[in-house]
Amino acid sequence: MVEFSTILAGFADAFSLYNLLFVLFGVVLGQFVGAVPGIGPIMAMAIAIPFTFGLDPLPAIAFLVGVNKGGLVGGAVPAVLMNTPGTPDAAATAMDGYPLAKQGKPLKATKMALFSSVTGDTFSDIVLITVSAPLAILALKMGPVEVCALMIFAFSILAGLIGNSLAKGIIAACLGLLAASIGQDPENFTPRLIFGYWDLFGGLALPSVAIGMLAISEILHRLSEAHGNLRPAIVAKDTGNPADRRVSWAEYWSCRYTMLRGATIGTILGALPGIGSTAAAFMSYAMTKASSKEPETFGKGNIQGIAASESANSAVVGANLIPLLTLGIPGSVGAALIISAFTIHGMQPGPLLFENQGRLVYGLFGAMIMANFVNLWVGQLGLRLWVKVVSAPESIIFSSALLLCFVGVSMATNGLFGVTIMLIFAVIGYLMASFGYSLVIFIIAFFLGPRFEKSIAQSLALTNGDLTQVLKSPVAVALLVLSAVSVVWFLKKNAQENPA
Amino acid sequence: MTTTADRISGLFFMLLGLAMYFWVNPNFIETVESGNIAPATLPNIISIILAISGAYVAIKPTTHQTRNPVLMAKTALYVALLCIGIWAMSKLGFEYVAPGLALAIMWLIGERRPLWLGLGVIAMPLLIWFLVSEVLGRALP
Repeated sequence: MVEFSTILAGFADAFSLYNLLFVLFGVVLGQFVGAVPGIGPIMAMAIAIPFTFGLDPLPAIAFLVGVNKGGLVGGAVPAVLMNTPGTPDAAATAMDGYPLAKQGKPLKATKMALFSSVTGDTFSDIVLITVSAPLAILALKMGPVEVCALMIFAFSILAGLIGNSLAKGIIAACLGLLAASIGQDPENFTPRLIFGYWDLFGGLALPSVAIGMLAISEILHRLSEAHGNLRPAIVAKDTGNPADRRVSWAEYWSCRYTMLRGATIGTILGALPGIGSTAAAFMSYAMTKASSKEPETFGKGNIQGIAASESANSAVVGANLIPLLTLGIPGSVGAALIISAFTIHGMQPGPLLFENQGRLVYGLFGAMIMANFVNLWVGQLGLRLWVKVVSAPESIIFSSALLLCFVGVSMATNGLFGVTIMLIFAVIGYLMASFGYSLVIFIIAFFLGPRFEKSIAQSLALTNGDLTQVLKSPVAVALLVLSAVSVVWFLKKNAQENPA
Repeated sequence: MTTTADRISGLFFMLLGLAMYFWVNPNFIETVESGNIAPATLPNIISIILAISGAYVAIKPTTHQTRNPVLMAKTALYVALLCIGIWAMSKLGFEYVAPGLALAIMWLIGERRPLWLGLGVIAMPLLIWFLVSEVLGRALP
């Protein structure tokens, strides 16, 4: 168990002025990129990771968390004003936000999005802080056999939940595992699949692969569709009524159950690897509409709709870190990118993190809580400014993003070889996305691959190759059964969705 | 088109899995006598699963819509441009190549306004140079 003095020291680190500045910078950057359709917090995090190389671990990770949290708030701005979600998570927000803006209440809509987002996010952070340490203690009791079974379970969940085809999900996972095989074999340390390139002996760098697949491939896609003209920013009418420019306490309080429901859905889905905030937002929206006494008002500018969507999608951010910090399994692309930041600073996320880096973990928790307040404050001040951001031309955004990716990856991998790998994976990512193969599964499988193989080797050593020994571990058996049930369930679901 | 695309990608992954299993893994992974799991074991298993899954996608395609082939060809042009950019950076360095690369990208997008071109071609590379070389004290590519 982490000592109370360590917890206090972590929070003290988090609330230092130095750290606060990085959280503030991260939130401002996140809200800015979230407001620009097509960039989003994930791409911003991917680009920013190498630039955190020179920072201490806590400000570096707090900065990235700030980008992620700010991005979700910023994403609501174009969704509300232009019916163009800045991030996929904000798609459900547009359903009621845009009609409300058209009624002459754009500021009320964006402020409701901001308040619900911060509420949902804070709820999920409190859950994260409360449950992650006990879960980590439980995770530490798991041996290689249980870890191996857990990995299999994670893969089965991921493959089924992302994409419309289980086979395609499996292919994406296989490709990620194959990419992870490049470099040293984890047991014998012999070179494997390096094709004579000794730069590959240490394996493919996570920043190269992640930035290539997530940022560059998306930029390439956007570049091919770009036209260089300013997108027409919406000219929002104003009713002239001050009450339409703010959210009153009564309006906020009337949404309390909606936000609580959204935050709960977001937290539960966020804690499960691979589901994501978009699904949480739509599920919360649907449940709110279904339980409403006036379902016909949804889609016409009901603030309950905005509250449902934003509280749920923001609650996912904190909850995503539960599997990451307790089991070392990234629950989302954002969490996978935060792993890059951990590894850049020489740390391995997982249950041992609480034991070895307890102060840092609680510093991160403190930074997350602080980021919520900063998000609220920056949002209140910056909403009018972000409205102007939505009209920034794509030409400057994407050319600058490409240059930043080149420099960032070069810094993280010490040269242009890493940049070349990044471009190769950008092409792979672009083609995979074009043909409907999940990039998220690829990235998570790529990260989990070496640990998965190592746990297999350790399990075999422990059981002397006798697989019946697995039956002596109830946890492993339960996880393997769950994996089998998941696969069967997803196959059935897939068959129903795609009838022959 | 959608069915054909899935069949093509499924067939590709099936062949990739087979090629990995029969040719790549035996030739590019060393054989080790000791240990609990041979270096080629996991890649071989993955290759087999990849081939089977690829065959499944080819036989039972989904309704996924691929991107417009014209846009994909346009993307290939940008990829070629970035390849030239990386090659040029290896010869000349970031400081000399970045403005030209930014100009080429912005021009291809269709940007013609001097202010935005100036920002993208001059201001942004300068800002990156200042941030990386002067503030962070790191080497540019």
